[in-house]
Amino acid sequence: MIETHHLSKLYSRGLHALRDLTITVAKGEFVFLTGPSGAGKSTFLRLLLLQERPSEGDIVVNGHDLSKLSRREIQEYRRGIGFVFQDFKLIPNRTVLQNISFVPEVLGVPVAQQRRKAFQVLKWVGLQHRMSAYPHDLSGGEQQRVAIARAVASEPVLLLADEPTGNLDPDLSLEIMNLLREINSGGTTVLVATHDRELIRLVGRRTITLDQGRVVEVA
Amino acid sequence: MRALDYALREGWASLWRSRGSGAFAILAITLAMIALGILLLVTWNVERLLAEWSSAAEFSVFLRDDASSEQRGEIEATIDRSGVMEQRQYVSKGEALARFRREFTELASLAEGFEDNPFPASLEVRVRPEAEADGRAIALVQRVAALPGVADVRYDREWLARLSSGLAAVRGAGLALSLVLALAAAVTVASVVRLGLNARRDELEIMQLVGSPIAFIRGPFVAEGVLQGGCGALMALGALWLGFAAVNLWWGAGLAMMLEDRSLQFLPVQLSTALVAGGMVVGGAGGFAASRHAV
Ligand SMILES: Nc1ncnc2c1ncn2[C@@H]1O[C@H](COP(=O)(O)OP(=O)(O)O)[C@@H](O)[C@H]1O
Ligand SMILES: [Mg+2]
Repeated sequence: MIETHHLSKLYSRGLHALRDLTITVAKGEFVFLTGPSGAGKSTFLRLLLLQERPSEGDIVVNGHDLSKLSRREIQEYRRGIGFVFQDFKLIPNRTVLQNISFVPEVLGVPVAQQRRKAFQVLKWVGLQHRMSAYPHDLSGGEQQRVAIARAVASEPVLLLADEPTGNLDPDLSLEIMNLLREINSGGTTVLVATHDRELIRLVGRRTITLDQGRVVEVA
Repeated sequence: MRALDYALREGWASLWRSRGSGAFAILAITLAMIALGILLLVTWNVERLLAEWSSAAEFSVFLRDDASSEQRGEIEATIDRSGVMEQRQYVSKGEALARFRREFTELASLAEGFEDNPFPASLEVRVRPEAEADGRAIALVQRVAALPGVADVRYDREWLARLSSGLAAVRGAGLALSLVLALAAAVTVASVVRLGLNARRDELEIMQLVGSPIAFIRGPFVAEGVLQGGCGALMALGALWLGFAAVNLWWGAGLAMMLEDRSLQFLPVQLSTALVAGGMVVGGAGGFAASRHAV
């Protein structure tokens, strides 16, 4: 699903956020990316979402060489990828329903179908009763569940999560992890970046450890 | 189609959200479009009047006092054969004097003192509009001027030519001024739209991450510019109309006399529509420039 070859990201001050990274994540896998703060985990996910470009090396995701995508193709590619970030990334002036239905809406999916899908994923995360609430009316855990619902609604082949439990207490964290595991059992490849070793131990999956931009351990 | 509908709805919402700074951009468009509108009003009216005056062209052939009736007959025949003439009228010396007394009553006492009648007899020839346009009128005037018995020919087209070239200069200067103002307005729209865009950075980032098509990300900002331009141009049109009505109210009577009973007219529907469309294009260009910062 994800293959990188000698991938490097160099920031302006001569700082290597990633250095010569060659990683493979198989289709349907659940993988943790860990390491201390500043190790390069977020940078790697940003490269996968094409928020930034690598300095060297290349990335192939689901058969797409990311360096070859046009602007239109990038947006198309992103529609096939779910993301869950520490800061939720919900549009503040849109309701929960509108946040989830945003892409289907602009793509012209019939309204009834949009609603059915939104209701289904919200029910799955247990928030079907908050459909018309705005993000700032929700707790952090609820906002993260909405973000997960949005990610799943597009039936992505790959789900990227960057410190998805970073703002949540341990009970809620485990709940979120269980949702991610459930998504994975449906066939979606999941890559979770976290520095929370305790959580990794509880979930127990393949773990790639980075330090100063290099892979230091695969377990 | 869906993108257009979406862009207009979002653009309108955004314009309403930032109506304070939006009013500023609209005002800039209004000023630019007023300048352009005044230019259009002036040139359109002058062109129309020029066309009417040109089609009402006349020349006068003044006869020598000693011209024989054969000579006059030959002059009239030349004019008749040319095909340039629409109508002609002979004005005798007596009639010319009478006309002078009638039209310049305050100078009538002057005319009392004349020993001889100083006014020459003349032929007043009204020219066909097409002969005026294709230069046959001028050719005829030159031919007639050389005939025996002719003292002088007055074919006063010079002021028309001067008015035309004056109009061209006004049009050039006005167009340059309008362009500068339109550019300034587009820049203002771009900065105002960009202000709103920067306030929504997070939202735009999310829209990109979820894979929204580019048209849906940039479209609303272009639409916001187009709407600002449209509003500004409509306001300019309203202001122009009020200004035009005021000019007619205060100076209408004087103008009517000066223009020989031809009246000034407001911009016709096509030009008004073009002005509004122009405002929308200028605003849209500003919005488009700003929208490049959205992705
Ligand atoms: N935009 C940026 N400009 C410069 N340096 C950056 C930028 N983003 C990240 N870095 C640096 O790259 C390194 C890796 O950062 P990051 O990927 O955020 O690490 P992690 O997510 O593992 O904590 C850090 O040293 C960080 O300071
Ligand atoms: Mg990070």
